[in-house]
Amino acid sequence: MTARERGDTGGQDVLRRAGDASVLILTSLADGAKHGYALIQDINGFAGVQLGPGTLYGALDRLERMGLIEALPAEDRRQPYRITAAGVAALRAHLDSIERVASAGRLRLGLGGI
Amino acid sequence: MPGSRSMRLVEFALRCYPRRWRSRHGDEAAEIASLLIRDGTPVHSVAWNYLVGAARTRLVGGPRRRVGAAVCALLLAAGSLGVPLALLSSPAPANAASVTHSRTAHPRPAHPRHGDPRPAGPRHGGRGGAPDRCGHLAHC
Repeated sequence: MTARERGDTGGQDVLRRAGDASVLILTSLADGAKHGYALIQDINGFAGVQLGPGTLYGALDRLERMGLIEALPAEDRRQPYRITAAGVAALRAHLDSIERVASAGRLRLGLGGI
Repeated sequence: MPGSRSMRLVEFALRCYPRRWRSRHGDEAAEIASLLIRDGTPVHSVAWNYLVGAARTRLVGGPRRRVGAAVCALLLAAGSLGVPLALLSSPAPANAASVTHSRTAHPRPAHPRHGDPRPAGPRHGGRGGAPDRCGHLAHC
């Protein structure tokens, strides 16, 4: 597995091209491990986004390949996932990047910085 | 629990995933589908989302899978183009109606007249006396 696949990119925003679903999943997993249906419910709760199940599994597979999340032992038929240290770093870098863009956008709209 | 008919649609979509994916996620994916449908998500939306996910999973697989998926896509595209072309180019009188229609739509003479300036290449019925189908296909 390459450093990039592990998410070890020295503070770079590896989630920039990973898609919104990946960011939403990492954000949901930031406060604890969850399985697929719990992820969909949680994301709907905090972001108002109804993630399709196919989209969810595609993003989970991609994040797992990148080493940003890992699967825990299955409970019955449900497979829980948790965020890894690389995932926390990637999410932090992405949120910093979004904050910079949001701040610049607010300033330029005359709304004041964050 | 959603009806068996709606679940059949979802199961069909899940069967489009690679076997390895199904052995790992299949049971949970079916359970999530039934829970989402119970919560009010339309069945066709769940099934379609799984179908798109299956296509993506196959496309981002290993190089052999990608080649296989590309070949399948090409065959599908060729098939979807080939069937209408084959129907249009079937010999008269089987498609007499469509020939009549095409003459109406594209008012060209069926057979090149003597002194017709158009080239008598293969696209324009170089076999002499070929039906109008070549001209019709040229418009397609």
